[in-house]
Formats: sequence, C-alpha cells, structure tokens
Amino acid sequence: MSVSAPLMPRPLSLLCELTYRCNLQCPYCYNPIALSAYREELSTDQWCRVLREAAELGVVQAHFSGGEPTLRRDLAALVSAASGAGLYTNLITQGTFLDDALLDRLLESGLDHIQISIQAPEANLADRIAGAVVHEKKVDALRRVRARDVALTLNCVLHRGNHDTISDVIAFAQELGIERLELANVQFYGWAFRNRAGLMPTRDQVARGEEVVAAAQERLRGKMEIAYVLPDYFGEFPKPCMSGWGSEFITVTPNGDALPCPAASAITTLRFENVRIRALAEIWLESESFQRYRGTGWMREPCRACTRRELDWGGCRCQAFLLTGDASATDPACSLSPEHSIVVALRGDNDPIELVARRM
Amino acid sequence: MNDDSQPRFGKGVKLRREEDGSVMLLVPEGALVLNPTAAAALELVNGKRTFAEIVAEIVEQFEVAPERAGDELRGLFGRLAERGFLR
Repeated sequence: MSVSAPLMPRPLSLLCELTYRCNLQCPYCYNPIALSAYREELSTDQWCRVLREAAELGVVQAHFSGGEPTLRRDLAALVSAASGAGLYTNLITQGTFLDDALLDRLLESGLDHIQISIQAPEANLADRIAGAVVHEKKVDALRRVRARDVALTLNCVLHRGNHDTISDVIAFAQELGIERLELANVQFYGWAFRNRAGLMPTRDQVARGEEVVAAAQERLRGKMEIAYVLPDYFGEFPKPCMSGWGSEFITVTPNGDALPCPAASAITTLRFENVRIRALAEIWLESESFQRYRGTGWMREPCRACTRRELDWGGCRCQAFLLTGDASATDPACSLSPEHSIVVALRGDNDPIELVARRM
Repeated sequence: MNDDSQPRFGKGVKLRREEDGSVMLLVPEGALVLNPTAAAALELVNGKRTFAEIVAEIVEQFEVAPERAGDELRGLFGRLAERGFLR
C-alpha cells in the first residue's frame, strides 16, 4: 500500500481569533479553558502583517472570530487591511455590539459576510444558555444586517439544552428572512469538552433533529440554505477535520500562536509557533507543528491502509488527543478505530449534569 | 434557470481569478474551485446577459456542442442558484 508523501499545499483560509474576551458565558464554547493565558493580544500592526503575509501565501478568505471580535476597537481597520490585501472577509460574531455605527464602518471597510449566532429561538432559553440578557440585542442586530446589502448567515450551536427547538430555530430564521442558516452540533473542545456530559444530545434528539432538518431543507430549497453540522460522536466516520492537518487552514490565536486547527492548543505534546517571532509562510511551510500530521505519512493502522484516508484524513487530531492521549491515533469518532467504544459509551443517554459557565 | 433568466451573483459571492489563470468562486465560509468552462461562464454573469447568451458565448469560446453546453451550464447554474450563490 503506497502512502503519499507530505504535500506542500496552499492555505486558503485564515481564522483570526482576535480576542478571547466575550461578554457571554456559553458553556459550549470551543475556546481553551485557560483563557487568561491569551490576554496579551496581537497589536493592530501585527494583525495587519499577518493578513498581508497570509494573502501572499495564497489565502483567499479571512474569518474574524474570537471570543467576541467586535470587542477589538480596531476591527474595522483589520477588515480594511484584509480587504485591501484581496481577501474575502467574514465576521463571526454573537452580535450584541453590532450597532448601526459599527456595522456601517465594517461595511465601508469591505466586509463581505457576517455570521451571527443565537443560543436558542426565544429569549428565556437563549439568555439562560448565554448567561446574559442578550437575545433581544441579537435580534436587533440580525434586523440591522438584513436591512443592508451584505450576506448574512444565522448560526445556532445545537446541544442537549436546545436540540428540541430546531424547528423553532428554522421558523425564527424564516420570520427574519434569513437565507442561510447553519445548525451546528456542538463540537467537544475547550469549554465544551469540559461540559461534554451535559451538552451531549440524546440519541432521540439526534435522530429527531436529523428528520426535522432534512424536511426543512426540502421544503425551503432555493429559499433558505440550511447547513447542518453532524454531531461528532454519532457518525460512522469522523469529520474530515480542516480537510486535513496543514492542508487549507491556519488559525491564529489572540496572542499570535499559529495553529493547524482552532482546537489544536489542546494537544499539549506539540509546540506551536508564534507569528510575533516567525513569518507565517515559514510556520506554514517548515514548522514541526504544521508538518507533523500533514498528508497521510504519519498514519498508523487502521488509517494507513484505509480507502477513506484521503477523505477524512484520520478525523480530528485534537479529538484523538483529547480522547486517547495520543494525537496520532485514529480519531475514536471513526467506527474503524480500535478505541471507538470510548465514543459509543458517551452517546448522550446520561442524566443531565450541571454546566460550567465559560469565564476568562 | 430559463433561457431568458439574467443571472447575477448572490450577496457575499465573488469570483477570483488567480495569477495562474485558475478561478475560484468565493462564497460565505467557503471557496469553490471552478473548471475552465464554469469559470468562463460565471465570468459572463452580470445581471444583464441572459442564460442563453452565456451558453452561446461558451459554445463559441470552447467549440462545444450547444446542447451539451446548455445542459451542463443549466445544471451548474441551478445548483449555485439553489444555494443562493446565483439569483
């Protein structure tokens, strides 16, 4: 069985995690637990340099996220820098600070797309999940964006506490005239990993949810695109995380660490390089961390001889590490993994558990 | 997509031609790499040209059979319209 040599692919997408500060406390946040280690944020100039370097390296899209990216006062300047470097710009926000003035500044700076997340389709539940009274502010922000000529995606992260409201989320989106809805099952990293037992949907919820989503996709075809992110621990095969490690994606954390996957800081056996110290191109091309799981050469059995090895790339390295302690193991989410029973045992029929609120 | 439709790009959808001539369609949260025919056809999209005019242009440019080009482009444009990338 031949194994392809590490490729030298071109990164297409840069996720700029501008800050981990946030006024919400969602227990499903994928940010790392040790948030206070990231207080020393990159400056405006440093981010501008990263954006230029990314564009030179072949990146075509910049995603501004966090934490809550609108807490950075220089957000419009960074959008402008990205746009000026020829990048498509995407803002991923929870929307509570998106007033008319900021929105107009961002659009003038060339923002191409906005994703706003809600916690649930109605205020009581939503505010309980967010740990703050913010739902109505988000609805206002959604209306403001709808009134302008810019692409908008509504996002709702699904977990046990809101999985039964999927049809109401879809109705909420229809009422607001949303054309693109993302229903994303929670992924278990950072705070969400810590709260896994309380967030894991039940088998019934997952089965019902899939039916509701499939019916809505059919009914709303051509009117609303509904993107559904499958639950991590319920499939037969793992997600093709990042389309392969070091293949298309770079994440830069608030303090400048460059990661092959937004959750990679969980892998304590790898050392990640920082854009304050090295150029992004060097990190992409040469760093040990980006090379380590690039391509298929690192794989062991059962991935090594698997016909799906270039479809799902062994799944997620971070998940493999979190569940087995070994980042080069087959992702246990794969039914072919010798450690698949770990995931099966966690499929959501435990009693509800108290969630820990995210805080800095 | 009818012959008389005048397709235009949806919000947040952009064509990007690279130095090497390859073309990508940038969409919210993703990028689609286009084959040369699809790229040429989408570069003709401007909200004014009709679908039939775009097909005719491609037939001439690529010397392909009109029926085949029509079917292929109808499929492509239909899929993109379904996702809101063309309207």
